[in-house]
Amino acid sequence: MTLATLIIVAIQLSVFSGLRFAGVVIMIVWLWPLVMGLAGLTALSLWCALVAGVFFDTHASTPFGLTAVVALLLAYGASRLGREGVGDLDSAAWWVTPLLAAAAGFVAPAIFVGASFFTLNFSLWRDSLFAAMVVNAAAFFVLARPMARVALWLGNLGGSRR
Amino acid sequence: MVATVAILYLTTGVSSGLRGGANIVITPFSWAVNAIARPIGHMLAGTVNYSDVVAQNEKLRYQLAKAQERANEEWAYARQLQQITTQLNVPFVGSLPTVAVQVTRLSPTNFSATVGISKGRDSGILVGMPVVANGGLVGRVIATTANGATVRLITDTASSVGVTFKSGKSSLIVSGRGLNNGLGATAVPLGTSVAPGTKLSTDGLNGALYPAGLPVASVKTVTLTPGAATYNLTLQPAANLRQLSYLDVVIWEPAA
Repeated sequence: MTLATLIIVAIQLSVFSGLRFAGVVIMIVWLWPLVMGLAGLTALSLWCALVAGVFFDTHASTPFGLTAVVALLLAYGASRLGREGVGDLDSAAWWVTPLLAAAAGFVAPAIFVGASFFTLNFSLWRDSLFAAMVVNAAAFFVLARPMARVALWLGNLGGSRR
Repeated sequence: MVATVAILYLTTGVSSGLRGGANIVITPFSWAVNAIARPIGHMLAGTVNYSDVVAQNEKLRYQLAKAQERANEEWAYARQLQQITTQLNVPFVGSLPTVAVQVTRLSPTNFSATVGISKGRDSGILVGMPVVANGGLVGRVIATTANGATVRLITDTASSVGVTFKSGKSSLIVSGRGLNNGLGATAVPLGTSVAPGTKLSTDGLNGALYPAGLPVASVKTVTLTPGAATYNLTLQPAANLRQLSYLDVVIWEPAA
């Protein structure tokens, strides 16, 4: 799963970071641990959030650790829901996982900017925050189910569900 | 609080080592992803022989931008010449050597305006050196490796540039507003004579981050809030920051 996460980071850096929609980068390094949490892979989602966040942060000029903190928060929240079976791909309605992911995609950039205040960086909010929230929400909605399927498949391969 | 302390600690000290190590780990994966993703893109583009056209277009754009940059620099030199006639103590005059580099990656995140470039310390590029292209100042080198470097664009929210206009009689601080929002200046005194179209260039004051005379931006709009004692300016960067393929790193370091 760590290997898969490193590949996700590479895809983020090589593909998604250059593929901007309305000038906004879609952050699949946040979506990946989120869908793992929703899929019930609690410990793995937290580990992958840390790995994805830290490795992504080493390539960004934003304060080190911020992406990881947001990823960990998303993974923790999602895994709480995942443990209750909310967002389960097989039993819940088809729209539950995408909707939860969209909500997370909407708040994640705001959490990032909010957390940046704790690093004494007060300028990040000046960028296109709202556009980032909207675009990431839409992208997370679309990508949540396919990525959750991949996460489940990889989780079952490793036999590490819940 | 612990997380905050950890983040601050990592940001200031250990992060450079971590970044280097993480780059080594991620690079093979990036190569692998690129090896898969790029041929697919080229295959699609190649159906109409598009990739050659794109490459040629980028080179022509670079040459055009160089010409535009020279034109802008001539304007800046003329302004400097005027300054020289009135002031004897000029901090910087003359042309500086540059290193041509290619942009290898764009900012990976929504909250920083940076680009990666193809040359680093081995080519004499150091942290703090200004970067120009497409007709004006693009940014400043903020990190280097042996064969690469990261440039913070002037539109980054953490970026600010001291500029001058009107034959060097007036100075301003121009701040970045994010990759998609350009540049701006706030709290400009009402007595400052500025109008749309006014060109701004680096002031090169003692201790400045940039040498004097690099074109930075032109004034797009002047906003005066009723009752306020200052203007706000919206600025159009002199360089086209949306089309960055080739850049020139100016071999110049700010005074310590």
